[in-house]
Amino acid sequence: MIQVLFYAGALLAGLLLSALTAALLGDPALGDLHLSYVLYVVTVAAVALGAAGPRVLKNSLSIAAAVAGVLGGAALVYIFLAQVLYVGTAMAVKHGGLAFLWNIPPTPADETGGIGPALLGTLYMTAIGAFFGFLIGFPAGIYLGEFRRELAAKVARIGVNVLVEFPTITIGLLVYALFSLLGMRAFSGYAGALALTIIMIPYVALFTAAAYASIAPAVREAAYAVTGSLYKTLFIVMRKVVARAVLVAFLLGTAKIAGETAPLLFTAFGNDYYTSEIFGVDLGEPTGALTLLIYYMAQTPYTVQNEVAWGAAAVLLWIILAVFAVARLLQRSA
Amino acid sequence: MIDIRDLKLQFDNVKVLDGVTMKIPNNMIYVIMGPSGSGKSTILRVLNRLVELYKPKIEGEVYLDGQDIFKMPLTLLRRRVQMVFQIPNPIPTLSIWENVALGPKLNGLAKSKAELKERVRWALAKAQLWDEVKNRLDAPAASLSGGQQQRLCIARALAFKPEVLLMDEPTANLDPVNTAKIEELMLELKKEMTIVLVTHYPPQAARVGDWVAFLYGGKIVEEGPVKEVFTRPRHELTEKYVTGKI
Repeated sequence: MIQVLFYAGALLAGLLLSALTAALLGDPALGDLHLSYVLYVVTVAAVALGAAGPRVLKNSLSIAAAVAGVLGGAALVYIFLAQVLYVGTAMAVKHGGLAFLWNIPPTPADETGGIGPALLGTLYMTAIGAFFGFLIGFPAGIYLGEFRRELAAKVARIGVNVLVEFPTITIGLLVYALFSLLGMRAFSGYAGALALTIIMIPYVALFTAAAYASIAPAVREAAYAVTGSLYKTLFIVMRKVVARAVLVAFLLGTAKIAGETAPLLFTAFGNDYYTSEIFGVDLGEPTGALTLLIYYMAQTPYTVQNEVAWGAAAVLLWIILAVFAVARLLQRSA
Repeated sequence: MIDIRDLKLQFDNVKVLDGVTMKIPNNMIYVIMGPSGSGKSTILRVLNRLVELYKPKIEGEVYLDGQDIFKMPLTLLRRRVQMVFQIPNPIPTLSIWENVALGPKLNGLAKSKAELKERVRWALAKAQLWDEVKNRLDAPAASLSGGQQQRLCIARALAFKPEVLLMDEPTANLDPVNTAKIEELMLELKKEMTIVLVTHYPPQAARVGDWVAFLYGGKIVEEGPVKEVFTRPRHELTEKYVTGKI
């Protein structure tokens, strides 16, 4: 409970700080940066004093410094998070409010624009990546967790561990090469979805493996004793034991791939326009994504595009925060 | 009738069973007793082939009503031979009702919802748990006390209407009141099924057993009717064991 209050308080403080500095300085990003920096310097100074000062000062200060360090460090992160949410949401509101979600991105000559095709592209590719990633990663994880003492599983585990740490841009390149070799269109939503799938698989597999490995030996024996079918033991009985952990793995994996940029650079490629009348976005074509849009629009010298990038960042963060919140709630009630 | 012939079993290089032969007639409580590590639980886990989880090397033959259990489809064997474990182990995330319904559902033992309901009620009643839980069947199994959880596990096994019930020190973690309840239950159940009970507590063997085998170091030292083994043990080791010296 205290933890929740702390998070909420830090977020609220960040929001207030952003609003205050925005009003005072007219430049929200810069104002927060200064304040955060001051907070950081104070913390470091307190730690240094606590370590070097006389004993009485040392004891009381080191406790204060430890507390300040933990709170300050966490607050720092939350201030920046709140910063993006606050400024970004404000930008989204400025550029049409709800219409920001479906308007197409602005060219430098436009006065306003939205994130429509990119939002749809992210939702589609993430959904496909999450679905297939789970479909393959879940059984793979069961194998890694339940048969962890077998040689093949040990070897497979090494492979999965490598894959989960793989630079994601190389996975994009791999998919690009694969699609090109097969004569398929590498700059497409399907290629993007495949790249996200490959990133999702080891993530879900490792979570699932850990969950299955954590099942108490007595419960495991019960799961085998109630049926002679290995499939039913693993996929029905034991799944029911770890269902919550697996669902959390699915949600966290989904949040992770929704925020990926690198694997989409060589695959989805990005697109500022709607390409299908029925679905909005044709995944056979180059496809936009929120992360790609932020990446491109933040680099241009045009204010309108920068502002839309802020808005896109806020929308992406809201989506990911919502998924995280659901995952946390599930974990808590477990 | 369970017929075990010259059963040898080892894990890696550790010999656990060294030529066990026993015949277990129907409708009796057959007790396997012996000190820790003598291989009692392993024999039980051979009878429902749960031991295969631990990749042992097995030699010898085991027949259930004349059929070789190692050639029988595993689903069929587990339907006929059910087990109650030392640690009460209901599926913790499932409700009381779901825990008992699990077996019939997974094995297609109930043709309709009404039949499933009746079977679960019957199993819980048989395990003398129905009156205590009938108003909270949807409560999580973990909310029950230890003794109730163990009776829930018995109900889960009974819902199969098994021919053989394997009980691996089912009262080792229970207080005397719950132990007495479960011993009473065993005496009631043997009218309908064969019970193979493992215990390392000789007085329990004397209280409920019809026939007893004393296992030591993976071998049967002595077996016979309970009264005989406890009053006139033929082997020195048996005498030491039943008098609490080993």
